Amino acid sequence: MTPRPFLQLSAIALGLWLGTVRGAAANGTEQGSVLIPAGFYEPLIRSPKDLAKKPVAAFWLDEQPITNGQFLAFVRAHPRWQRSHISRLFADSSYLEHWTSDLNPGTQAPLNVPVVQISWFAARAYARWVGRRLPTTAEWELAAAAGYTRPDGKNDEVLQHDLYAWLARPVPPIQSTVTTARRNLHGARGLHGFVWEWVDDFNTALVTGESRADSGLERDRFCGAGSLGAKDSSDYAAFMRQALRASLQANNTTTSLGFRCAQDFSPLDPYSPR
Amino acid sequence: MKTTPTRLLLIVFAACALIGAVGRAEIKTCCAEKITSESTALALSPDSLYQLESHFTDDTGQTFTLGELRGRPVVLNMFFSSCGYACPLLVTDMQAIRGQLPAAIRASTIFVLVSFDTDRDTPAALATYRAQRSLDKSWKLLHGSADAVRELAALLGLKYKQEIDGSFSHSNLLTVLNAEGVIVHQRSGLEGGLPATAAALIAAVK
Repeated sequence: MTPRPFLQLSAIALGLWLGTVRGAAANGTEQGSVLIPAGFYEPLIRSPKDLAKKPVAAFWLDEQPITNGQFLAFVRAHPRWQRSHISRLFADSSYLEHWTSDLNPGTQAPLNVPVVQISWFAARAYARWVGRRLPTTAEWELAAAAGYTRPDGKNDEVLQHDLYAWLARPVPPIQSTVTTARRNLHGARGLHGFVWEWVDDFNTALVTGESRADSGLERDRFCGAGSLGAKDSSDYAAFMRQALRASLQANNTTTSLGFRCAQDFSPLDPYSPR
Repeated sequence: MKTTPTRLLLIVFAACALIGAVGRAEIKTCCAEKITSESTALALSPDSLYQLESHFTDDTGQTFTLGELRGRPVVLNMFFSSCGYACPLLVTDMQAIRGQLPAAIRASTIFVLVSFDTDRDTPAALATYRAQRSLDKSWKLLHGSADAVRELAALLGLKYKQEIDGSFSHSNLLTVLNAEGVIVHQRSGLEGGLPATAAALIAAVK
């Protein structure tokens, strides 16, 4: 089932070629997209019912996370998502807290760096506004599994070094720009080493939040929890992503959590991203 | 980047062949679940779930938005009809809660079941479930789009995941909403907590 390396590389090359001409929304949300070829996602933690390799269709993914500047255009157009207007149901009290005011990101949030302190609802609302959606866990992990120069990022020493150096650093008071970050093989920037990113189905991570209970999830709290087994216990970063998703509520915001958008790939309309 | 249409078409087909892209049906969900519009006049509590304007379909095929429940206390549960373990117990628990309510409150309370199983729990399947479980008209059985269901689950703080066999792993969580759609109580797990849930509902009405 796995595509042969030549085909895989050709598909990636095609994605880059198509991806270079992306862009062009007229509302300040211009965003390059890259084509992530179809592949297989290997869930880190799976129940006995899960496939070891889950097929993922090709899709478009934003080249980099959404920035403060882009998010500003969104809240300008939709006042109810501005900091002082938002319902606590959709974002907690630290939503965009690092911005100077509703319509002024200010010095702590330069326009060209990834927006953080946004909730899942806000990320989704933005994505809908630009005619896209959030990537699924499977899509995000598939895109992020690629290294800088090889399809298997976990064997890309440079990428692994960058990733773990980032994990070891405290969250910076001001995020760095992703525009100049090194592209991975698919052309995407900053999937590792900048901000954590929301996925649409973050709430599929069935963990109780009580670490001692996670190894044998209480059958009463979750229907069908069954037993869980991790595929690769050395993939520390993947554990961190899993734990983060499991610990989040949809209205939570954190100083290192942002997002990027995705879109289905339509073979009949290869230029579909706007 | 200028290419002739024919060449472009060839490239596109080549792309499909190469990457085996599945042409997933393009479902543009633009308006199905925009949350409130800025112009909504009736002031809802900022904590009200009824700000969610997702459209559901009930088991008679009627379109339904959660805001239509406004004015009545609600016991809400997410489930799937082919569930063999927890969901039947939760429905039984909801019936037990109902039995613990004073007659006047029981008459106004709505019991809502929203299915995770957006593919198989069609309105017709939900109607069958209603008949099997002898649920009267104080029960609302709802089918929604995958998007609407995910958003509702997120608002409730409920985790769920579809397994390869089509079943769902999910949190067991009963939620009580007051007349304004604000969560006033949640009961997690499958044991105990029914009197407290009934009490929370009664308190919400007063």
